[in-house]
Amino acid sequence: MSARGLLLSVCLTAGFLHQSPVHAELAELGDDAMARVSGQGGIYLSGDISINALGGPIENSYFGRCDDRQKTCGARVAYRLRENGGWMVLDEIQGNFAFEGLTLRVRSIDSGFGGDGEPFNGEVLELGLPDTIRFSDVRFRMAASSTARPTDPGFRQTDIFTVDMQGEVLMRGNLLIFPSGAP
Amino acid sequence: MHLSNRQKLLMPLLLLLSALPVRAELRDLSDRELSRIDGTGIGLVLENFTFSHGTDEPDTQGNQARIFRLSGIRSSDGRAVDVTVNHLYLSGTGSNYGENLNPVNLGRLLYPWEIDVVDGNRLGLAGKAILQLAAPVKVPMAEGFDCLGAPAQMGSGTCSSRPATAGHAGERADMGLQMNVAVGDDRSANINLHAQSAVVDGSYLRLWGDGDRRQMAGQIRLNFYTPELSITACAQDGSSCGSRIRMADFQLELAIGNPLQPVFFDVDGGGHFVLEVAAIQQPEPGDIGADGLRGSSQAEAWDFYERYYTRPDYRSQLAIGNFSVGDRDFGSARIQGMLVQHLSIRTKDLGQ
Repeated sequence: MSARGLLLSVCLTAGFLHQSPVHAELAELGDDAMARVSGQGGIYLSGDISINALGGPIENSYFGRCDDRQKTCGARVAYRLRENGGWMVLDEIQGNFAFEGLTLRVRSIDSGFGGDGEPFNGEVLELGLPDTIRFSDVRFRMAASSTARPTDPGFRQTDIFTVDMQGEVLMRGNLLIFPSGAP
Repeated sequence: MHLSNRQKLLMPLLLLLSALPVRAELRDLSDRELSRIDGTGIGLVLENFTFSHGTDEPDTQGNQARIFRLSGIRSSDGRAVDVTVNHLYLSGTGSNYGENLNPVNLGRLLYPWEIDVVDGNRLGLAGKAILQLAAPVKVPMAEGFDCLGAPAQMGSGTCSSRPATAGHAGERADMGLQMNVAVGDDRSANINLHAQSAVVDGSYLRLWGDGDRRQMAGQIRLNFYTPELSITACAQDGSSCGSRIRMADFQLELAIGNPLQPVFFDVDGGGHFVLEVAAIQQPEPGDIGADGLRGSSQAEAWDFYERYYTRPDYRSQLAIGNFSVGDRDFGSARIQGMLVQHLSIRTKDLGQ
């Protein structure tokens, strides 16, 4: 067989194979079989999160390094409550959070909860809180500002209060999240 | 375009492959099936929850000092006010003012805390989608529990959160705040606030956009029930405390804003935060008849004002079963039917 003839026969064979029905099929799972399937395990998270502990990436007339007392360091989030109005601001967000043992899993509840579990009979997303969260120099400031950015012209800001947090916070328990309510 | 013989052969093959029928299909949903689908909110329950933070003293194991401080506030004479929170806690009942922290559930699986977008047509705000953050709801008397009583049985009240029993932690929390308030260099004020077995059922925050003012509008409902709310002032080291101010059977139902008269949030051009409940609009001349009855008035306007003045959930209440300082009783106090008709709060920067 010439090379051309060989290529033709290979191509036709390949085309035939693609057209033939696939005999290995996916069988449907009945409700009974589905009910026996359960997601196993979950996720275990440990974290150490620093937000602008030394200062953010922007250095200008307002923002700078945290060791520069003339400048502000930390993130800034501004949101507007009215068209053409001023801005509510979370300013100087900085610090470090650390936690160990945050867990995430899907849990089926059909008993317990003082008798609520049985009528509830459903699945929830369970976020297992770590026993302690360690805060190091966490700080943020609540403020109201005339402009979104402190470098915009006409900037005026009223600081409402500043929060400083340090040390361990005890936070035990599980947060259960599930669909509820009415449209 | 010139194609080689090999390309001519491969072309129909590629077309054949791309034209293979896809057997997995999306099926249409019938109207009947669609009508059974509900948009739902998110329910949140905190199970076996305990929260505690803040003390300037190292704990019994000698761990480092914890600090939780609010600063940047100024007194009216310009001195800096610094609030150090010595202890902020949330625990199960029987905590003995935060000494013995034990777990509590917040929200029930059947009546959870909820985040939801609700249809404004059902709340008197036609054509609006409303973001609602809600505490567990109030329920009919037959299914509820007395909001104050520690041994309350089912059918005794309208709160869905249950008191603790021998076998169940319940959904009522002890909460407290111990703080040291320093004004300038004066660090003498140590103030402690504790609430026992507290319930916030029926509270909610609703937020929406007001199309006319192009501004965020809201409705706030805060219900707070506790068999005992107490306030003490102590020496800075916490060793000696003054008389305990005790408010037994404390019930607060605070309503700020409603669909007819929402509360508006704003920041003005000078960078000041403004919270405002605008005055209700005045009726046009002739809308309300001289005798004030519906028959002689414009019906729609009359219904509007009737609704505004008679809806009980637009009004705030405060009731204290017994007010006592130390061993002196001052009896009960009650404020009922208070309607916020106009409110304007604006922050002022004392530093400028």
